[in-house]
Amino acid sequence: MRQEAPLDIQRRLPFFAAFIILMTIVLFVRLWFLQVVKGEYYYDLAENNRIRTIKIQPPRGVIYDRKGRPIVENVVVFDISIVPEDAHNLDDTIKRLASLIKIEPARVKEAVQNAAPTRLKYEPVKVKEEAPWEEVAVVEAHQDELPGVIVEPVHKRHYAYGGFGSHQLGYIGKVSQAQRKQEQADINLLIGQGGIEKVHDRLLRGAAGRRMVQVNAAGMKVKDLGIEDPRPGRDLYLTIDLDVQRAAEEALGNRRGAVVAMDPGTGEILALVSHPNFDPNLFPRGISARDWERLTNDPSHPLYNRAIQSVYPPGSTFKIIVSLAGLDTGIIKPDDKVTCNGFIRYGKHTFRCWKKGGHGTVSFHRALVESCDVYFYTMGERIGYDRVALYAKKLGLGALTGIRLPDEKPGFVPTPAWKEQKLKEPWYPGDTYINSIGQGFLLMSPIQAARMIAAVANGGIFYRPELILKSRDRESGSVTIYQPERSELRAVIDKSALDEVRRALIGVVNEPGGTGQASRIAAFLVAGKTGTAQVIAQKEPGKRLTEHLEDHAWFVAYAPADSPKIAVSVLVENGGHGGAAAAPVARKVIEEYLKDAGQKQAI
Amino acid sequence: MPDRSRLSNIPWGMIGVVMLIALIGLSAVYSATCTASGASSLFYKQIAWIVIGLIVMFIAVIPDYHTISRYAYALYAVSILMLVLVMFVGKSGMGAQRWLPLGPFAFQPSELSKLALMLALAKYYADSSKKDICLTDLTAPFIIAIVPFVLVLRQPDLGTAMMLGLTAAMLTLIAGLRLKAVLILLVIGAVISATVLFIPPVKKKIWSSLKPYQQNRIRAFIDPSSDPLGSGYHTNQSKIAVGSGRICGKGFRQGTQSQMEFLPERHTDFIFAVIAEERGLLGAGLLIMLYLFLMLFGIDTAKNAKDRLGALMASGIVSMLAIYIFINIGMAMGIAPVVGVPLPLASYGGTSVITTFLALGLLFNIQIRRFMLFY
Repeated sequence: MRQEAPLDIQRRLPFFAAFIILMTIVLFVRLWFLQVVKGEYYYDLAENNRIRTIKIQPPRGVIYDRKGRPIVENVVVFDISIVPEDAHNLDDTIKRLASLIKIEPARVKEAVQNAAPTRLKYEPVKVKEEAPWEEVAVVEAHQDELPGVIVEPVHKRHYAYGGFGSHQLGYIGKVSQAQRKQEQADINLLIGQGGIEKVHDRLLRGAAGRRMVQVNAAGMKVKDLGIEDPRPGRDLYLTIDLDVQRAAEEALGNRRGAVVAMDPGTGEILALVSHPNFDPNLFPRGISARDWERLTNDPSHPLYNRAIQSVYPPGSTFKIIVSLAGLDTGIIKPDDKVTCNGFIRYGKHTFRCWKKGGHGTVSFHRALVESCDVYFYTMGERIGYDRVALYAKKLGLGALTGIRLPDEKPGFVPTPAWKEQKLKEPWYPGDTYINSIGQGFLLMSPIQAARMIAAVANGGIFYRPELILKSRDRESGSVTIYQPERSELRAVIDKSALDEVRRALIGVVNEPGGTGQASRIAAFLVAGKTGTAQVIAQKEPGKRLTEHLEDHAWFVAYAPADSPKIAVSVLVENGGHGGAAAAPVARKVIEEYLKDAGQKQAI
Repeated sequence: MPDRSRLSNIPWGMIGVVMLIALIGLSAVYSATCTASGASSLFYKQIAWIVIGLIVMFIAVIPDYHTISRYAYALYAVSILMLVLVMFVGKSGMGAQRWLPLGPFAFQPSELSKLALMLALAKYYADSSKKDICLTDLTAPFIIAIVPFVLVLRQPDLGTAMMLGLTAAMLTLIAGLRLKAVLILLVIGAVISATVLFIPPVKKKIWSSLKPYQQNRIRAFIDPSSDPLGSGYHTNQSKIAVGSGRICGKGFRQGTQSQMEFLPERHTDFIFAVIAEERGLLGAGLLIMLYLFLMLFGIDTAKNAKDRLGALMASGIVSMLAIYIFINIGMAMGIAPVVGVPLPLASYGGTSVITTFLALGLLFNIQIRRFMLFY
């Protein structure tokens, strides 16, 4: 028996059932209508009017020099690709394609198989990159016989001057697995993998657009349904001056080394050279294994950006810092005299001056002009190494300059505490001697040298070295200007000390007996300092060294001396004497940059 | 005393129907999500959801449904609490905040709330034991229904909110709403609709309070071909998929529409389009028939239930299933708006699958206790 039988509800349930049956009939009728009555129509739509979303990669931003001359551009090339889903019979299609253009069918099949795990449905597989024009034409003409084969126009990065400035420009390449995750990039995207291309990748890359197209059963486009334009990358205007860069590249020639030229008033980099360089054009379509091995196994490390990643003993260029330390603290008076007999003894050790016979009795000016080692041994000891190290740091040594390029190295300013901890040896007075002439443990990069001499030129202001002048939106033309950025670092140095040093630096280039006369220019007063960094501690007299043990040649300079417009540092690896090997390079760079100004001044 | 073995009372045939539906759905989920390298993880997850669902279903059969109904209000309260919680800690997806993070999984409280609301209303109507419901009796049910409705609407999930409202309305009709009350409500509804549609300031205000995607979906429902790239895209593509399946279908994994990325939600909301394209009229028709069997079985359960509570719970479960089935399939064929609700048992989705199995467990619970007396 039932308790409290829900009769009223039971009475209504047939209506409910009827409603459900009615609704089901509606669904059936609709299903019948779509699949039977209009089935053929929809089948055709699905078969012949397939809708595809095709990604449109934007052109990367163009890179110009500071005067608007293009350095890195895009050229359109054509890739021949295959969409395996559209090739009714993949083997047949590949065979037919092979009869028309030069490809190896086995390699194409392999490429299709290799792409399978990560490829999205209907994503094309590249058959031939940068196909010659005749092949493109043949494929276009035979489209009907080649279902699934498409010609894709692609922007290819072109570095107009090859290896020219390759280290700051960088290069682009395929995304790595890790980058793919991080950037949510698709597999064929090329992104910056070095230099400016990497650092400013987000700006240069732009954003992909998409196009919706109807394609027929063979995958050929029937009509465009809509387009969402890609946003092209922003164009970058570099601070680099193409003429100055070229002068620096040519002056350094095929020697290993680096040149950095900057505007001391803004920190803008006018030229940045590292030799040997490499051709970034090798990379955009995937560098060949052979080329990659050649680049990475080259003992002279062409991929290494020597201007910011290599650090060297500063040699005699460090005497600028010792001079400022002595004069600014008042420990050195310009008239203080030291007698140089060509060497100085400390206990059992002998410390030589580079000039065998000695410089005789010298005061500050002649000592710096002639780069007398004995004078700076003596003064270094008098000032005390702690103060020397303090001024080295004040002038930016041992710290990153902050240039926006990957993997800058900070160099090194040793301290007695460091030596005791690291080498388990006390700091000897001899350490003070050799560090006072820029040998020993000190390490400096060419960009640090440039910034140091720029600070001497501009009165102690440090800028972050900047490579970008402005960026520009290609469509709207709107421009973002990169303002010079001052570093926190600021060397507050007494003006009379600074002037004393500057006078000596002019003397280095312009006075008889100066070590940097090779950089003299008739039209301008150049101020500079040579440096010769020993690779091994002290060479035995009269013995020739193998090339890789030769001294590194330094030269730092600025010009015009009265109102500095350019500061330059040059390093020639194993180049020998700074005055002979590096100073002429600096001269050519300065001459090139001041050429226009020089004509005015000559009147 | 007719104490038959309960196990033999379990409607195994109906469980077979349920499993068949789940398997048709599962094979479509596989087809819609697999990649060139094989099955996607979603396929394996869906298997796990179905297995968990089956366990939940059998557990739901064990206690007497009266015992379960005793906790209806508590379950309702918990579901409301979770809807509130999701507003604060929920994970967003597609412009709405719908998911509660639950370790590696995400739980969708709105799916549970539909069952909780239905159970609460069934208990309320059963307890009140009034056989004629007039408008004034609707205050409490209205409050019970409006709270989850508004919370879900605010996520915003217009589709699920509509489902909640329709389920509540249907259950109220079956519980015995007077014809007069029905007519009055219809008139009120018509007046409100007319106000919204034909008085420009009101229309503007309501329209601008909708999210852009909601506006687009309404626009697309009115004229799907107006913008084939935008809002009407889903409907058009889904219709092409269904229609192009013709009588026999294109075959497993052969659906050009389903295999292409033409629909972002093809393994969830548009799973029917995948089935219809690849299995044709035969497959899609079979699926609809299976759903019809299930719903009629539910109504039969309600008819044979030994008391009001059982009848109301069974009717409520059938209402819930029916509304989801009709709206979802109608949406895939372009005769219902695109509201983004899953197809019960077939669409991918843990919360939906498990909740549906739970509801079916309750239905079977009522079915096997139809001859039993109170104890």
